[in-house]
Formats: sequence, C-alpha cells, structure tokens
Amino acid sequence: MTLTPRLRKFALATHVTFSVGWIGAVAGFVALAVAGLISQDAQMVRAAYLAMEVTTWTVIVPLAFVSLLSGVVSSLGTNWGLFRYYWVLVKLLITIFATIALLIHTQPIEFLAAAAAKPTAFSADLQSQQLHMLIASSAALVALIVLTVLSLYKPQGMTRYGWRKQHEGPAPALPWMQRT
Amino acid sequence: MADPPPYPGMPRWVKASGIVLGVLALLAVVLLHTGAGSHPHHTAADTPIVGSQR
Repeated sequence: MTLTPRLRKFALATHVTFSVGWIGAVAGFVALAVAGLISQDAQMVRAAYLAMEVTTWTVIVPLAFVSLLSGVVSSLGTNWGLFRYYWVLVKLLITIFATIALLIHTQPIEFLAAAAAKPTAFSADLQSQQLHMLIASSAALVALIVLTVLSLYKPQGMTRYGWRKQHEGPAPALPWMQRT
Repeated sequence: MADPPPYPGMPRWVKASGIVLGVLALLAVVLLHTGAGSHPHHTAADTPIVGSQR
C-alpha cells in the first residue's frame, strides 16, 4: 500500500507536527515537575501538579497517540515500511514504549494532582513520587529527542525482513528516499 | 537468476544502542533493588516540604 504524494505529505506533516508538539508538551511537563519538586511556595506546588494533570490528559496523551498513528500510516504508506529499516523499527519501538509508559504514569500524576487539590499541606511523603515524576518525564524527553534525531539522520541499516523483501520483488527506492 | 547477496547483518549503531540501553536498564534495576537514590521515608507528621511561603 503506497499513499499518493499528496496523502503522503499530509501524513508526514501530521506526524512531524504532533511529534514536535509532543516534545514541547513534555518539556513543559518537565518544567512543572521541577517547579513542583523544588519550589518552597505551596501555591506554586499545587498549581504545578494540577496543571500537570490537565496537560497530560488534554495535550500529551492525544499528541502521543496521533504521533504514533500518523507515524505508522506514514511508514506503511511509503516504501520505508514499518519493519524494513532499523531506524523506523527503533522509532516504532521507542514510541510504543513511551506511549505505554505515559499511560502508566497517568496514575501517579492523578495521585499528585489529587493531593495538590486537598487543602492540607503537601506532605513530604510525596517527595519520592515527585522525584519519580521528574526522572520519568526527563527520560521521556530524552527518548523523544532521540526519535527526532533518528528521523532526521535516518541511519543506515536494513532488517533481515527488509533485505529479503528488497531482493524478492521490485520495490524501487524513490528519489526522495535517497540519502543525501 | 543470481542469488541475492547475503544479509550484511545488524548495523553497528543498533548494536551500540542496544548495549547502552541494556546497561541503563541494568543500572535502573540495580538502583531500584538497592534503594539507592531514593529518599528516606518521612511520616506525615514530619515537616511538610512546602508548608510555608517564602
């Protein structure tokens, strides 16, 4: 299945937009996690964790899913395929892992937001959760930057499946696929 | 028809990334099990970290 050039561009534009947006949103999340962890201002801490919950559900989760979906469509709709090149495969695995990790972390995010919404003081018991949130979001940011680098550099290397497919039938490389 | 050329194998960058990832995962598991880097647990009666305004 190969997309028409117009659809291919649309899928790629969607993928780039949502992927870059995902990075920006996670960078904002890291800033909130830092503020929540180190700030001595109780209002700032509460606001940070409440904002983290809202950002997660309304921005980060949708961006992650659209990025994943548009990436799969872009890959399958071109000769790159999904399992033919290592850089595409690695990107897919990192994106799936990051999305699953994000969904797992929605629980502690909600927990911290619920604690922040309570009128009582934000207890020191939550410090390990707060630190965990900062480490996890920083790791996510690094992973997303790795994805961007992979997309731009497209390092060489075909999978065994891709190699077999290439030598099985004619799947000529299009000019835009050539490495520059 | 000529035989297809043999598969050149996994590229070096994939192997290197795999090793780095493996080491990091191992480190994370060790840190989790030894408890290194985690903070000592306070009780709820302890001083709240953000209880006061600057």
